[in-house]
Amino acid sequence: MTRPILKLVMTTAIAAAMFSNPVAAQVPPPAERAKRVRIVKAPELEMAAGQLTIIRWTTNNPGGTDDHYGVVHYGTDPKNLNKTAKSPIRLNQGHPTTTFRVRLDDVESRTTYYYRVDSEESTGKSDGVKSPISKFTTPARGERTPGNPARG
Amino acid sequence: MRVLLQTCAVVAVPLLLVSCTGANAADPASPPMYNPYPSGILPADVTSETARVQGEVQSIFQQALAEANALPPANVTGQPPTQQASGYRAIMTLGKLMNYDVNMSALKNMACASCHMPYAGFGGPIPSVNLTMVAYPGTYHFRAGKRTPQRYTYSPYFPMLQLDNTANAFFGGNFWDGRSTGYLLLSPDAEQAQHPPVDTQEMGLPDTACIAWRLSQSQYVAVFERVWGPSSLTGISWPSNTEQICSTPGGAATFGTNVTPVSLSPVDRNRANVIFDHWGQSLSAFEKSVDVSPFSSKFDAYMKGKYTMTTDELAGYDLFKGKGNCNSCHLDGRGTTLSPGQTDTSTAAQVNPLFTCFGYTNEGLPLNPRDAFYYQTTPDSLGFTANPDGFGYRDLGMGTFLRSGFGSAPSPNAEWTSQAPLRDGRFQVSSARNAGMAPSQCPTTEAPGPYFQKGFFHNGYIKSLKQLVHFYNTRDVYPFPVTSGHCPAGTTEKVDCWPMPEVKNNLDMTVGKLGLTDLEENQIVAFLQTLTDGYTVPYPNINTFTGQCSTGGSASTQGNESLIPTPTLPPCSSNVCAIPPLPNPAIP
Repeated sequence: MTRPILKLVMTTAIAAAMFSNPVAAQVPPPAERAKRVRIVKAPELEMAAGQLTIIRWTTNNPGGTDDHYGVVHYGTDPKNLNKTAKSPIRLNQGHPTTTFRVRLDDVESRTTYYYRVDSEESTGKSDGVKSPISKFTTPARGERTPGNPARG
Repeated sequence: MRVLLQTCAVVAVPLLLVSCTGANAADPASPPMYNPYPSGILPADVTSETARVQGEVQSIFQQALAEANALPPANVTGQPPTQQASGYRAIMTLGKLMNYDVNMSALKNMACASCHMPYAGFGGPIPSVNLTMVAYPGTYHFRAGKRTPQRYTYSPYFPMLQLDNTANAFFGGNFWDGRSTGYLLLSPDAEQAQHPPVDTQEMGLPDTACIAWRLSQSQYVAVFERVWGPSSLTGISWPSNTEQICSTPGGAATFGTNVTPVSLSPVDRNRANVIFDHWGQSLSAFEKSVDVSPFSSKFDAYMKGKYTMTTDELAGYDLFKGKGNCNSCHLDGRGTTLSPGQTDTSTAAQVNPLFTCFGYTNEGLPLNPRDAFYYQTTPDSLGFTANPDGFGYRDLGMGTFLRSGFGSAPSPNAEWTSQAPLRDGRFQVSSARNAGMAPSQCPTTEAPGPYFQKGFFHNGYIKSLKQLVHFYNTRDVYPFPVTSGHCPAGTTEKVDCWPMPEVKNNLDMTVGKLGLTDLEENQIVAFLQTLTDGYTVPYPNINTFTGQCSTGGSASTQGNESLIPTPTLPPCSSNVCAIPPLPNPAIP
């Protein structure tokens, strides 16, 4: 009998004390675009296993739209990078650098691929990064690169 | 029922409210139980747990009635007329009454709160359901939806769904897939509240007019009309078969494709529509109130200089903003990223950050084969089949909504349709606030507890905050081309084996390999727990849980005993994946 009443009194008191919530939070506008976006950590193969390969690199924070895409142009002929993979990432406006990671879901095993990277805003506007052409070789079927990582 | 009778006896004070007999005690004839599930899919205690929650719901409903009785007399004054001083309290109380009213379901056995109780941050209240079938049983036992019940807390702060042309991204809306846009009521939260009562697998009313009908029969007509005006709930000429129709769960073959089976004149239909809008608006007022969204966490106190974080909490916060990069989506309103040893001296950009960017993302969750939706492939006794596609169904989230596709709702904006392929697999970035909220007696979500079992993300695949952080940290460290339940020998699912994503399209790569240590993961969990409301003032009704806590085990493998092998998946159903504009790349 007393518990519901106490609960009611408490709830009412709390509500009365706190009814005016602060103003709703807002999403900040896109950050100002960097004058120049440069790679501060070169593109590298993060992992490759089966048909999945991940390429990663780091740039200074490019600014612009928070939703960004890492872009990898790749192929088996360095003069004909005829495939493109894009993966979304989200910029952190408080971070000085941005790490891009892109999934390539259709590579063949035991094959050397050549690639270069770029990044772009969610509107498709390029950040103007043009990396040199790099390469990676996929492992044999059933293997992975690097080898099985330690449990973390 | 016993709880109901007791509380009615205690609180039935004859002020402006009618007695407890009738409305809440009704028990119309139910259709035969629908159980298409293989053994082990429905939790063994689903019936008793559903009844347990109903008792809790009834108890809080009685509390709300008492609060309504305690409202001061209305003083409507001014131009436009305003309920001076008590208007806020009145509409919040009305919303609370609605939220806990089991009569707002076809079979009068389920309130909104049946899937959203305060002790779970207004998320799912049944640990065994969170552990197994994920989607909650609806009014017609045991139809069920397809996703975890999203927490109410802070949902009214989400803006209307909009495609921001500058950012080329969607913001706002409510629901995992954004299907509550807010385009009519200008409040996605209010429109969200309109969906479950007429969802075939949830509260199951077959016609939106049934909300108006049931409200007109409720114990709180006077409260409704106090808020929305005299005669705002009465005066509709209801057909004599209205209750019979409203007691028949939606989707019944007898209705065919008719979504307005209650036969009303155009004038009365409009009145019912207005009442339906007021339903949503009242519930949203409740959800925005301090009963639900009070900004009363340790973090809020910390922001005001009234709480000192522990070493682990502070380390977790630094990781949240730094190495973990969590605040790229779960915005914390702060201005800097700290290096080790630095002190945050920045000015808060926001005094009450919501820990969401209001956006949509695909985090690459594996398909959860325990989801009850996959098994509802045969018609129930009313001729309704929730999911004819079985395991051919794929949850494309916002992409399906933008196509007005199967399992979502019609998109009201054709200009968004072309965006669907870019949004496949994306789900709403929920506020991180109250992810860790749990009942008083089992005050954590983490094993060994005593803990309260939750399900995280849209499909409930993740069972603890530790797993959630570990998933973000190692999704791409331990990827395996398998489905859930098929991790290779020598690995442990969710520890050093992550099955492949249900949908690879648009997979977010901000996370997946964060390089956090085990200790750092735990510190982020400690920080997330500072976002639980109820520190500066007690969280209302946090202590209403009457179920059992869980104990033992490890947060890392919490719930792994419930893993089952995913069957061989058929190709994605044409109902989902052949609706233009087609997913790109095609979804297998």
